[in-house]
Amino acid sequence: MLEVRDLFKQYTTADGTPGGGVFGATFDIREGELFTLLGPSGCGKTTTLRSIAGLEKPEGGRIALAGTPIYDAGLRLNVPMYERDIGMVFQSYAIWPHMTVFENAAYPLTVGKKRMGGKEMRDKVMGVLDLVGLKAFAERPAPQLSGGQLQRLALARALCREPALLLLDEPLSNLDAQLREQMRAELKRLQKETGVTAIYVTHDQSEALAISDRIAVMKDGLIMQLGAPREIYGRPTSEFVAQFIGRTNLLHGRLDADTPEGATARLETAIGPVVCTFPAAVKASPRMGIVIRPENVAIARAGSPAAGALPAENRFEGRVRSETFLGEIAEYEIDIAGQAILVRARPDTEVRPGDAAVVAFPIAQTLALIED
Amino acid sequence: MSAMIESDKPPRAAPDRPAGGLRAMLSMSPLAAIMAAVLILLMLPAVIYLVQSSFYETKFDGSFGAFTFRHYVELFTNDRFLKNLVNATIYASGSAAVAIFLGVVQAWIVERTNTPGRSFVLIISIISLGVPSVLYTISFLFLLGKTGPLNQLLMWMTGSATPVFNIYSLWGMIVIEGIEFAPLSFLLLSSVFRSNDAAFEEASMMSGAGIVTTFRRITLRLALPGVLALLILIFIRAFESFETPALVGRPGGVNVLTTDIYAAIQVEIPANYGQAGAFSVMLLLIVVVLLYWYGQLSRHAEKFQTITGKGFRPRVMDLGRWRWLTAGILVLMFFVIIGFPVGIVFWVSLVPYYDGVHMAALKLMSFAHYGTVFTSNMFQGSLANTLILGAASASIVAPFTALCAWFAVRRQKGGAVLDQLASLPLIFPAIVMGVAYLQVFLHMPILYGTLLAIIIASSVRYLPYGMRYSYAGILQIHKELEEASALSGARQATTFLRIVMPLVAPAMVTCWLFVFLVAVKAVSVPILLAGPNSQVVAVTIFDLWQNGVIGELSAMGIIWTLMMTTVSVGFSLLARRYGLNVR
Repeated sequence: MLEVRDLFKQYTTADGTPGGGVFGATFDIREGELFTLLGPSGCGKTTTLRSIAGLEKPEGGRIALAGTPIYDAGLRLNVPMYERDIGMVFQSYAIWPHMTVFENAAYPLTVGKKRMGGKEMRDKVMGVLDLVGLKAFAERPAPQLSGGQLQRLALARALCREPALLLLDEPLSNLDAQLREQMRAELKRLQKETGVTAIYVTHDQSEALAISDRIAVMKDGLIMQLGAPREIYGRPTSEFVAQFIGRTNLLHGRLDADTPEGATARLETAIGPVVCTFPAAVKASPRMGIVIRPENVAIARAGSPAAGALPAENRFEGRVRSETFLGEIAEYEIDIAGQAILVRARPDTEVRPGDAAVVAFPIAQTLALIED
Repeated sequence: MSAMIESDKPPRAAPDRPAGGLRAMLSMSPLAAIMAAVLILLMLPAVIYLVQSSFYETKFDGSFGAFTFRHYVELFTNDRFLKNLVNATIYASGSAAVAIFLGVVQAWIVERTNTPGRSFVLIISIISLGVPSVLYTISFLFLLGKTGPLNQLLMWMTGSATPVFNIYSLWGMIVIEGIEFAPLSFLLLSSVFRSNDAAFEEASMMSGAGIVTTFRRITLRLALPGVLALLILIFIRAFESFETPALVGRPGGVNVLTTDIYAAIQVEIPANYGQAGAFSVMLLLIVVVLLYWYGQLSRHAEKFQTITGKGFRPRVMDLGRWRWLTAGILVLMFFVIIGFPVGIVFWVSLVPYYDGVHMAALKLMSFAHYGTVFTSNMFQGSLANTLILGAASASIVAPFTALCAWFAVRRQKGGAVLDQLASLPLIFPAIVMGVAYLQVFLHMPILYGTLLAIIIASSVRYLPYGMRYSYAGILQIHKELEEASALSGARQATTFLRIVMPLVAPAMVTCWLFVFLVAVKAVSVPILLAGPNSQVVAVTIFDLWQNGVIGELSAMGIIWTLMMTTVSVGFSLLARRYGLNVR
C-alpha cells in the first residue's frame, strides 16, 4: 500500500550544527492497517510523516503510494502535496476559524481533483459528519466547538475526500486524559469502519499499544523495531525498546558462545546466574542485555508456603525496599544483591517493606536482547 | 484566535543549496524575486542620488555638474554644523527626558495602582494618533506664546508688563516635543511595567529586603533596559523630527540639522542641494549608529521581559485615599497632552483674531472661519489630496507587506531578504527621505511635484510600519492551517485566497488604518515633494501658520482632527480586538 525506502532527511539547527531528522527509514504499510510511528521527541517520526504528506522534502530515498512513486530522490521526483491522495489530521487540528463545521469538512471537496458539488457533496459531507457524530453541529461556526469536537471535525475533513492514506500527527495530545481514552477507542473504531489505511504518530507508548495493528519504534532517526503491539511489548530486541515500551528490569551478563534461536543459556549477572531464552540467534558478547517485565516476576514472602512452590531455577532472595499500592496492582522494589528489581503483583500479596522475599523469573519470559 | 499563535519553532531545514546573496536570490520564487526587485528599484536610486548630490555641484536645471568635496569641507570648516549638532543633541535628550518622565508617571499609575478611571488614559493615545504633529506644535504656540493664556496668567500674577517667558527657545522646543512624545512613551513603558511579575518583587521582600531596597535592586533593575531603550528611541525620533524645530526653534534662532536641510532647499535661493545632501548624509549616518545601539539595547530589554514565571500577574498597589490624587494627576495629564491643545485650537478657530483667552472674545465668537474653510478650493483640494495620499499609501503598503511577511514568517526562500528590504526605510529620517526622493524626482520631471511622487515616497517610508502589523498578523496564523488546505488538495494560490486572506484580513485592515493615519499626519516628506497641485493638509497648515492665517488654520485643524480621530478609534478597536498592539 505504502512503501518507504531509505528515507533520509537531516535538519540543521539555528547555529549550523546537525539537528534531528530521519536517517534511512524503510517500511511497508499494508492495506487497511493502522500503523504507528512511536518514539520520543526528536526521533524522526514527525519528519517521516511530513515527508509522506509532502509537507517536508526529504533528501534521499523513495516513497510510493499504491504502487505509484510520490517521492524518488534518484528520479528527482516530488509530487506536490495537493496531488497526493492523502488526508491528514494535525496536532493543532488546524480547523479554519472563519468557516462553519460544514464548510471545514466540505473544503477538500471544493478544491483540487476530487471536486464535486450540490447534493452529491452535501450528502457526502453530512454522511461523514454523521459518522463522527457532528451532524447536528454542521452549521455551527467552527470556533464554537469543544476540543473533542474539533478533533472529530479534523478527522471528518480528512476522511471526506476518501484518501488512500490517512495521516494522524499526535491527534490526541491536546485532549485531557479522560477524553483521550475515549477518542482513542473511537479513532480505532472509525478506522476499522471506513477501512482507511492510516499512519499514526505518537510519543505515548500506551496509546500506540492500544490503537495499532503494527508499530515502528523509532530512535534518533532510525527504526529500532517493527511489529505488532504484543510482539513489541513481549519480545523487545533492544534495550531502548524494552525500556521505552512499558517498564522493565534490565540485567547484563557475559555470553561466551554464539547461541542459536530458541535456545536457553545461563549467564552470570550482578544478582547471580540467570537462565534466559534467545528469541533469535545471537553472537557471543561480553555484555549481553537480559530483560524481564515486572508483571512476569513471581514473588512470595520468604518462608511462606507460596515461596516453597516457586521453581528452583532463576530463584533469588532479597529484601523488600518499598511498596507502591496502585489499586488494581501493587508494585514492589526488591533489593537483590544491591540491584533493584521491580515486581508487579496482585495487591493482596502478603509482602511488606522490610520483609525478606523470594522472587522467580520464568525462563520463557526472561529474554536476551538480540541487539545492542 | 490566540490559541493559534505559533509557539514552537522547529529547527530550520537545511537548504537544498548553500544560502547566500545571489544564489539565494536566484532560487527564490518568482513572486518573491519580483517583490525584492521592486523594493530595490524603489530605494536604491534615492540613496544613490542623495549621496551623489552631496559630492557634485548641482546646476540650475537640477542635473549634476563637477565632482566636489566642497559640501563636506564647508560642513566641517563652518561652525554652524557643529553648533546645530549640539542644539539637536540637547533638544533630543531634553525631549526624551520630558517624555520619559510623563510616560513613567502615567504608566506607573495605570499599570501598578488601583487609581479610578485609569483605563481612560487610552483616549489620549487614540486622539494623539489623529492630530498632525504640525497642528499639535502650533497649538502649544497658542498656549505658551506671548499672548497665550499661561503667559497672561503669569503676567497677572507677577505684575509684569512683558511676557514672562519666551517659548521660541531651546527649552520651549524640549517641552513641546517632550509632551508630544508622551503618549508613545506611555504606551511602551506600560508594557515594560506590565511585564514585571510581582513574584520577583515578592521574592525580594521574602528574602528580607525592604520596599525601597526592592524597588532599587529589583523593580528598577528589571525596568532599566526597557526604559533605556525607550530613551534612545525617543532621542532618535526627536533628533530627526522637523515640525517642532521648524515652527518653534527657527523663529527663535535655534537651528538643528533637520531645519538646516529644509532651509537649504526651501529657503535659500537658488536651492543649495549640495549642502542639503551633505547634511542629510551626516544625519543618516548618525541615525544609523543610534539605531544600531537601540537595537542592541532593546534586544537586551526583551531578554529581561521574557523571564516571567507561571501564574504571571503584575502587582497592583492599593493606594487608599491617595488614589484620588493619582486620578487628579491623570486628569491633569489628559488636559496637558490633549485637552488644552485641542481646546485652544478650537478657541482660535472661533474668534475673529486671536489675542489670548479672555471673556471679551466670547461675544465675538462665530463659525466664520469654518465657513471660509469649507468653501475654499485650497482646503478642498488639499483635503482630497491627503485622503488620496493616505488611502493610496495604505493600499500599497498593506498587501505588499502582507506578502513580504508571509514569505518571512513561513521561512520561504527570499523571505529574509524581503523582510530586511522592507524594514530598511526605518534608517531614513523623514527629512532625509524627502531630500533623497526630491533628487529622484528632479531627475524624473514627469513625476516632479505630483501627488504620485508623494505617494511613492510615503509608501516606501511606511513599509516598515506596515511590516510590523503584517508580521504580527501572519504570525497568528498557525502554519498547519495552511498545510491542512494543501493536504485537502488545494494549490498554493487557492490556499492563499481561501485560507490565508480571510484569516489575515483583520490584521490587514488594522495595518491599512495605521499606515493611513501616519501617512496623512506627515509634513517632512510632502513639504519637499509637493507641487502647487499636490498640497496636503499638514503642509497647508504649515504654510498657513507661516503666513499668519491662524483662524482658518485652526478651523481646518479641528475638522481634520475630528475626521482622523474617527479613523483612529476604528483602528484602536480593531487592533485591540485582534491583539495587534504593536508600535
